[in-house]
Amino acid sequence: MRPEELRPRQAGSAIAPESLEELAGEGAGSMSVIGRRNRKVDGAGKVTGATVYTDDMALPGMLHGKILRSPHPHANILSIDTTRAEALPGVHAVLTGREMPVTYCVIPWTRDEYPLCVDRVRYIGDGVAAVAAVDEDTANRALRLIDVEYELLEPILEPERALDADAPQIHEAGKPGRNGNITKHVHLEFGDVDAALADSDVVVEDEYFFQGSSHTPIEPHCAIGLYDATGKLTVWSATQVPHYLHRELARVLDLDVARIRVVQPAVGGAFGGKSEPFDLEFCVAALSRKCGRPVKILYTREEVFYAHRGRHPMKMKYRTGASRDGRIRAVDGKLLLDGGAYASFGLVTAYYSGQLLTAPYKFDTYRFDSTRVYTNKPACGPKRGHGSVQPRFAFEVQLDQVAERLGIDPMELRRRNFIGERTRTINELRVTSNGFLQCLDAVERSSAWSDKFRRMPFGRGVGVAGSCYISGTNYPIYPNEMPQAAVQIQIERSGRVAVFTGASEIGQGSNSMVAYIAAEELGVPLEYVRVHSTDSDMTPVDLGAYSSRETFMVGNACLMAASDLRKRITAVIANEWDTAAAQVGLAAGWAFDLSDTERRIPISEAFNIAEAKLGTLAAVGHYNTPKDVHGEYRGGTIGASPAYSFTAHVAEVDVDVETGVVDVRKIWIAHDCGRALNPVLVEGQMEGSAYMGFGEALMEEQVFKDADHGRAGLHNAPSLLDYRIPTSMDTPELESLIIESLDPEGPYGAKEAGEGPLHPSIPAIANAIYDAIGVRMNAMPFSPPNVWRALQAGGAREAWERARRDMKRTEVAAD
Amino acid sequence: MHSTIQLNVNGDRRTAGIPAHYTLLETLRYALGLTGSKQGCDKGDCGACTVLLDGAPILSCITPAWEAEGREVRTVEGIAMPGELHALQHAFEVTGGAQCGFCTPGVLMSAYALLSTNGDPSLDDVRDALSGNLCRCTGYTKIYEAVLMAAQALKRDGGGRDPVPGDRDAAVVPAERAAGE
Amino acid sequence: MLRLHEYTYHRPGSVAEAARLLASHPGRARVIAGGTDLMPNMKHGLFTPEHVIALKQIGELHGIEERDGELVIGAAESLASVSRHPVVRAQFASLSQAAGSVAGPQLRNMGTIGGNLCLDTRCTYYNQTHFWRNALGYCLKKDGDVCHVTKVGRKCVAAHSADTAGVLMTLGAVADLESVNGARSVPVVDFFIADGIENTVREWNEIVTRVRIPLPSPRTRTAFQKVRQRGAIDFPLLNIAVVAQLGAALAIEDLRIVVSALGARPRVISGLDKVAVGRPLDEETTEAVAQRAFQQCHPLTNIIVDPDWRRAMVPVHVRRALTELAAGSVTAAE
Repeated sequence: MRPEELRPRQAGSAIAPESLEELAGEGAGSMSVIGRRNRKVDGAGKVTGATVYTDDMALPGMLHGKILRSPHPHANILSIDTTRAEALPGVHAVLTGREMPVTYCVIPWTRDEYPLCVDRVRYIGDGVAAVAAVDEDTANRALRLIDVEYELLEPILEPERALDADAPQIHEAGKPGRNGNITKHVHLEFGDVDAALADSDVVVEDEYFFQGSSHTPIEPHCAIGLYDATGKLTVWSATQVPHYLHRELARVLDLDVARIRVVQPAVGGAFGGKSEPFDLEFCVAALSRKCGRPVKILYTREEVFYAHRGRHPMKMKYRTGASRDGRIRAVDGKLLLDGGAYASFGLVTAYYSGQLLTAPYKFDTYRFDSTRVYTNKPACGPKRGHGSVQPRFAFEVQLDQVAERLGIDPMELRRRNFIGERTRTINELRVTSNGFLQCLDAVERSSAWSDKFRRMPFGRGVGVAGSCYISGTNYPIYPNEMPQAAVQIQIERSGRVAVFTGASEIGQGSNSMVAYIAAEELGVPLEYVRVHSTDSDMTPVDLGAYSSRETFMVGNACLMAASDLRKRITAVIANEWDTAAAQVGLAAGWAFDLSDTERRIPISEAFNIAEAKLGTLAAVGHYNTPKDVHGEYRGGTIGASPAYSFTAHVAEVDVDVETGVVDVRKIWIAHDCGRALNPVLVEGQMEGSAYMGFGEALMEEQVFKDADHGRAGLHNAPSLLDYRIPTSMDTPELESLIIESLDPEGPYGAKEAGEGPLHPSIPAIANAIYDAIGVRMNAMPFSPPNVWRALQAGGAREAWERARRDMKRTEVAAD
Repeated sequence: MHSTIQLNVNGDRRTAGIPAHYTLLETLRYALGLTGSKQGCDKGDCGACTVLLDGAPILSCITPAWEAEGREVRTVEGIAMPGELHALQHAFEVTGGAQCGFCTPGVLMSAYALLSTNGDPSLDDVRDALSGNLCRCTGYTKIYEAVLMAAQALKRDGGGRDPVPGDRDAAVVPAERAAGE
Repeated sequence: MLRLHEYTYHRPGSVAEAARLLASHPGRARVIAGGTDLMPNMKHGLFTPEHVIALKQIGELHGIEERDGELVIGAAESLASVSRHPVVRAQFASLSQAAGSVAGPQLRNMGTIGGNLCLDTRCTYYNQTHFWRNALGYCLKKDGDVCHVTKVGRKCVAAHSADTAGVLMTLGAVADLESVNGARSVPVVDFFIADGIENTVREWNEIVTRVRIPLPSPRTRTAFQKVRQRGAIDFPLLNIAVVAQLGAALAIEDLRIVVSALGARPRVISGLDKVAVGRPLDEETTEAVAQRAFQQCHPLTNIIVDPDWRRAMVPVHVRRALTELAAGSVTAAE
């Protein structure tokens, strides 16, 4: 192999062999792959249509499955008769809940869901029975031949109703005398909140409502099950948590976990919507076991809306006390979470809704009281920014209100409350790196904030908001002491490097991320790295793509394996060259002497020399979280993360006061991701996050009909026509400003970028609307009818003028 | 129940036995194995199934298969040359225009149609041309960048109007040249 | 994936053949042009014809040309070609805008002007899957006997949702229809009836073959306003089409306004002769016209967006349309 052939096929900043001098000159810290604008390793497949998603697969003899769903929001199942369906020619298997009477849940303490309902249905769309047939049409026909007798029960749609003493119980209470509709109640207090409030110079109190929303990946859920003649089960699924799926399949189907193989093919978007097992995965497995043929189930778009697990609607009350100079003395929150019919991740959601609010601002005291209840609607769960997007919206609007009351520029108010780096939050979360101030500076400068805030004509405005988010969680969902992430690397004689990872590539770029690290450490061009991911027969366990854990955890695991190999190889070459290992560089397809780059050999030759000396070149790396850095109180481990990302947004809006139409002209997004391993991917996450927040802010609504409008509990609009996600015509201009704080524990200093940058977009838009028209949008979405109604309520112009006067007065005072 | 349909897809004459009620998308994906075109919404709301019919982008999930008989169908599998990406595909790779990649085939076909009639599109032209393709990952920003980059690459290469079969060379930018952008 | 039912697909070569096919399967056949309405509706189980008769490839249904003082548009011309046609852009800006605002680019390449005219009415309780409608208990328009919008009504109030129809009404267009029994012409203003189940006068065996629009005078000005949630893809929440004949000093000689996306039939705003004709198109007249429109329009919950807001938007967009007219900026589509 000629080294020239190893030239990386990279964008702009590719490193050519002649640049080795440059690399060497920059010293040992210089990098040839990390931090550069590289291609994704799976990009070519995606732009040519070659990438295989689950529904692109067809196995020999494959059958098609369909799931019969409940047309009632709340009912007892009295009987299910499948005989007519079974008799239909072309039907190979029919399945009911009684054949899998084992509850599951992604959280082991709250298993409350059957793969198919056994004796009760709890929302319109709940799975009741499944069939496998020669084709989809036959399967659909068979569904219509299944007779189910129901006894209707009163449905609960409003979370307040679920709290009533006489409310029907959607699930049985865990303990006698308790309300079974409460899935989780968390009450935590840090410091004496009441005293601090009493002692505050200003106290702002208000109520906020966050509407439910759906992830809406463009790929609907799909799974294929194959239970073969040897008793081995393989499930291919569009999941973002193949490991949890693996475990739950074994439990529910009562199979040895070692006899199950779970494969995650390419996934067409997830955003949290594929982060726990779903009925279709159990059904394809059980149906295949029943009939011995591979079975595929592909959700319709409507079923995706029923599977849901999206953003919890939250009703929130906040009180914030501050001193005259703007320091936050006390924050007191009370939250009611509408959980839908099942627990899902709800236990965690209830904690996150309070725990993750305590940075980037320093709170002197803090209390939150969060209650999650069941209702007869599709289950809510984790959506991008799990549990913390809603309170962040409320709190960042409330901070804007505090700033206004005090006559302090909201940008400045946020600065004054900066919690700092290498510190602990009031609820004892350990913060390491923190680039929040730089984020504020960046958005302030780029947006020309000081020329705009309170200075533009009526109808136009700017708003700012900040946030923080976790880079994975210190404690895994099921308690264990094993590593959270692991990577294996194997080097082949040609120079090819194979990386085996359990990390779930869902479009965010985790496959590319490990490839960048392997290429950086081992000096091979990117296209010589092959990434094999998420096949439980091949790849080490990883917990999945949720809570923004992949870059931090899998990145560290990969770095450990790759740098281990690098050390071994450079030691061998150093020995050959009679120099120190630290003097041997591996980059861009070469092994070279850092002090004399003319002395170099193609990397494959270096690998061959090392293999001859050391034997086969392979390494494993793993990462485990710090377990000693959390609060010593019940719940103190939830929200603890090895590192936190920080974000600030400025949004600029133009409001049509006649129609209520909010035109978001631009969002400036500054995000502290620690280090951008590939700026292109980080920007992609920042832009995608801001876009998704924008959609929630302005138009998305996962809402339901009530008894006065058709049928209680019926999804208002389970389609991509009526559940509106923004088109290219709607989406504002998005400008990404990457801030690198170089986290001490992240791989090359990296932290998360996939979820944090969503949070501030919603409150930044709300605050911009206030700046524009003097109307506080405390309830989402800020759709034209809602904004118009708020304007109709009156007082907008007066509030707008008052805010300007107050600002001027403060400015004069400051002079 | 099955009938034989003949389709011209990406320059190939293909024959398949399909049920009369198959859509063009079902025929491409499940009868011809051309799984590049995706289905996301079932019924013409998202654009993931976009293919070109006689050069115009249409939604194959709500097009009866028979409507395509005797006409030219072009899918995402039919825009690259052997071993070489089309300028658009290349640009999507460089700019990160594809994240999960599921909307990408449809987006590419809409963009391909745009560039075949408008060699120098403005940002507004691009937004308008892609307004029937929902993307949930990117916020569209990097998609715009990719389409505009491809337009420039095609223009620089002097041809690059409609890269019809047999005339594709003009539209293809060798990876290395465009990488210098 | 949502599946279609089984049907036989016919591709007749002429309108006469299509009409014969249609006539030979009473109640069991439907025509399809672009398919952008029928296909989703069939996937929802709203129609299950045994025979589907394709019109789009019939040559005689194509062509856009000026003939005898009219612009004649073949019914199978796509909305994209109508909106982009130079004569349409120059003479009928509102039609160009309306056709160019239907859904998204792909749908405009598929959908036809004839199909848009015959678009089925839409309602939140109707345009849903069979599963959903079954959970609802069905509705008056399909398979049920209750209207969930009006509760008590015995008449379906599903919303007329075509973007071009109101414009064609204001432009005085005529639709030509053909069946085995012969041909007839219906002014588009008389084409619709207030019945959401079948809201046109087209007989079951008739095919719309062309749309004819009288060429405008130099004094004609047109305007079109569409209200929707997103900048693309969505059906209208409200459509306002305006045509005026303006004399010297903006004196209104004639004014026609049609508001649609309310009930089954587009609403022709009446009484404009009293408040507008003979007066200058100034602020006062504009306001009087806007108030007339407001009084006559009553949006319903057939569309899932706040009817009070939609009603309030009627005068706002009438004002905007008239302001555009007065400014004279809309002589051609942008």
